[in-house]
Amino acid sequence: MAILSNFLTRRGAALLATWRIWRDTLRFAGKATLTACAPSAYNSATRTVVMKQIFFTAWQILPGFTLFAALLSFVLIQIVVTTATRFGLSDYALEVSMRVLVLELLPLITALFVALRSGSAINTEVALMKIQGEIEALEDAGVDTLRLEFMPRVIGGMISVLALTAVTSVLALVLAYLAVYGLQLWSFPDFTRVMGKVFDMPVMMGILLKSLAFGLAVTVIPVAEGLATPRKMFMAPISVLRGMVRLFFALMLIEVASLAFKYI
Amino acid sequence: MADDASRRAFISEHHDTILVSPDMPLRANLSVLDNIALIPQYLANLDYEAAADQAWTLLLLAGQEGAAVKRDPDLSHEERFVAKLLRAAIGNPPVILVDRPGMLLPDTHYPPYLFNLLEKLADSLNDCWILDYRWNEPLYPPR
Repeated sequence: MAILSNFLTRRGAALLATWRIWRDTLRFAGKATLTACAPSAYNSATRTVVMKQIFFTAWQILPGFTLFAALLSFVLIQIVVTTATRFGLSDYALEVSMRVLVLELLPLITALFVALRSGSAINTEVALMKIQGEIEALEDAGVDTLRLEFMPRVIGGMISVLALTAVTSVLALVLAYLAVYGLQLWSFPDFTRVMGKVFDMPVMMGILLKSLAFGLAVTVIPVAEGLATPRKMFMAPISVLRGMVRLFFALMLIEVASLAFKYI
Repeated sequence: MADDASRRAFISEHHDTILVSPDMPLRANLSVLDNIALIPQYLANLDYEAAADQAWTLLLLAGQEGAAVKRDPDLSHEERFVAKLLRAAIGNPPVILVDRPGMLLPDTHYPPYLFNLLEKLADSLNDCWILDYRWNEPLYPPR
């Protein structure tokens, strides 16, 4: 009986801790969003942090990531086009490849890439700031750290995910055109007709909302996890580990929710 | 003060002061100049150039312009102390509280160093209190 009680107590405590961190994350997301909506939140200091975040998250990785996305898109488009032709479904090749790539894969891969690169860096930085007392020091000097340090990271992260998704999606459209129609412009009206069918207004709104949710997740979860780090140096790697695992689940949950909303 | 508890009590009683303390580190990923400039940039909505000018002027006054582009891990104790003091001073608070200067300047005979520095910055500071242990009292010149 004692063993069972011990086990349930431990599981209960772990469940409560998980619940608390998700609650704090949602609370932080709400606060950051509200702060971001207030024009008074922006000054030269916050703008500098937003620009730095966009530089490190999107601009620095743009060439490499675009190349990778182009390669992936090219291979997948070729697979879809070849398979569709083999089954006599070449009319659907363009539509299917665009649905797979632009609506599902590219936004998710972009979010995962940004999460791995910038999410982990943000989580580490905020955890170290918390452990070393930098947040307290800034607040003692009269600086609202939510407004100066964290909200701009969220804004910068969201803009970066949106921008990278847009760039890779446009690239995928160009590659799909080239794969299906070849290097000529006469089929452009056919191409735009198919694209108009795939990217109607609800789909465009869906992809925008999904990318915004991805952008929010890749910054809010690492910041919230960093802020929840106890002030002990050995907790820094544990904080990053937890943050990355939670971020992965959140991204997958957004993707599954988006798929379910669209197709079920 | 007699012990750490009385130090903490004193600090919490004077929460309107700006603290220069071993517990209040600089932003590790910013240079000294940026750490100091951040305060007017944020509080007074100055653009970066104007804020950095103010920070540079203070660094010149303190004679530590050589530390301007260094980040925290590359600083000597004196440079780090000056950076923390100037970060506090640039916001022009009524009182700056220097907490345990012996811990901030472990390699320096700190009372004369501190008074020299405060004299150089006299025009940029309102009031500066030093919070030190009672047993260090003989180190300070009689008032």
